[in-house]
Amino acid sequence: MGEFGGWEVPMLYESALKEHNIVRNDAGIFDVSHMGRVSIRGPDAIDFINLVCTKNVAKTKEYWMSGPTLILNQWARVKDDEMFYRVSDEQWYVVVNAPYREKMLNYYREIIKSRGFKVEIEDLTFKYAMLAIQGPKVEEVFEKAGSAWVNDLHTLEFRTNVEVAGQKVFLISRSGWTGEDGFEIWAEPKNLLEIYRALLKAGAKPVGIISRDSLRIEMGFVLGEHEYGEDPVKFPCALSLRYGMGAIDWKKKGFIGEEALRACRREGVKWIRVGLKMKKKYARIIPRPGYKLYVDDQVVGWVTSGTFSPYLKRGVAQAYIDARYALFEEPVDIEVRGKRYPAKIEDFPLVPGRPVVK
Amino acid sequence: MTEEIVVEVKNKKYIVRKDLRYTKTDEWARLEDGKVREGITDYAQKELRDIVGVELPEVGTIVKKGDSIGVLESVKATADYYAVVSGKIVEVNETLLEQPELLNEDPYGEGWIVVIEPSDPKEFEELLAPEQYAELIKEKVEKGEH
Repeated sequence: MGEFGGWEVPMLYESALKEHNIVRNDAGIFDVSHMGRVSIRGPDAIDFINLVCTKNVAKTKEYWMSGPTLILNQWARVKDDEMFYRVSDEQWYVVVNAPYREKMLNYYREIIKSRGFKVEIEDLTFKYAMLAIQGPKVEEVFEKAGSAWVNDLHTLEFRTNVEVAGQKVFLISRSGWTGEDGFEIWAEPKNLLEIYRALLKAGAKPVGIISRDSLRIEMGFVLGEHEYGEDPVKFPCALSLRYGMGAIDWKKKGFIGEEALRACRREGVKWIRVGLKMKKKYARIIPRPGYKLYVDDQVVGWVTSGTFSPYLKRGVAQAYIDARYALFEEPVDIEVRGKRYPAKIEDFPLVPGRPVVK
Repeated sequence: MTEEIVVEVKNKKYIVRKDLRYTKTDEWARLEDGKVREGITDYAQKELRDIVGVELPEVGTIVKKGDSIGVLESVKATADYYAVVSGKIVEVNETLLEQPELLNEDPYGEGWIVVIEPSDPKEFEELLAPEQYAELIKEKVEKGEH
């Protein structure tokens, strides 16, 4: 067990490397109850969500998720990256990142109050727990668990108030954060425990948060306080993230942070988020957050996240690099404990042939 | 079979071998024909888990007791390891460069790291006895120093 965002979470069960491979090759279950689950309800829900995020959620269909989008502050720095679930015009859900749950609840309530939106925010985090089951064999697992119907859901589609493995489920979606096929389930703890047991019996294996981190780094998915954060001194503007997945809709007008975001686009970005792979000879060096990037004797960037990729069998990282040096396939040095080692600049995902949420 | 102490604390088990000496920084040491072989303890490998890389010192390096002589990379963290005695490094386990998992699988055997020719034989005698190290692990785990 370990701490994440003020929660005690399972870091690993046996081996983070094995658990990583379970998700890439079979089916693994994460307990992701630490993530914030929030209801947004009221006649102004769409206007409210469109004010706070960079995507046009009016285009999201009922019983579909918006896909990931960004919540910006006035400097176009990212407060949180979230997905919105549309049940109807007036009923939405959102999953917020665990360390930001209270910040985002307060922020949303403040905006609703100051702008006079007819919207109510309800925190469901302690009412429902949450599992993510991820990997290429998830369909087989649900078949064996007697709930093959869930396999008809498309990526980003969801259902509410249904039954899975004979248990009441509040919400099930086809989604995840690993780059693999998978589902996320919200249910009351007593029901979710039974589902967890049923899915284990059906062949899924428990996996911990450490492997969740290495999986998302391989895919190029971002994490708060690593790749993004609100402080404009510590973090570049949201555009530098190259978040992708249609998170920013440039046709949309009137959202918080828009002015600064458009200014950032007009002026060009100073930093660009890229992937790094250690050269083979130094494959077993892991770049850690804060390590500096060098070209000759110039500092040209810094590592934001790093891990050992079990798939590539080498150290990999996400980093910000001065835009003038952001040349894919070119080498850059990483300073590790006073010595410099070569890595290659690469685009995401760092592992080939994985489905990315579209 | 080597005699061992099994430290059981907070539902976890750590092996402490009775034929070895130990450091506060979780290395073990074994006296072999006047030379000292060292590695990391079962507790250390369980704390680090998933060790994927190791940096070894060069043979011939003169070290002082307590010097950092290399680094272990695990998925979880980067950790230094320290010379258990002062002297000259006379052997390093290069197999670990290709198979760092030996540090997890066999910390007291195939996972040894270096052999040091000590300059002051008394230093070995000052290392922790197995019983003392077993107590230390208990304290570390109970204090949550991990």
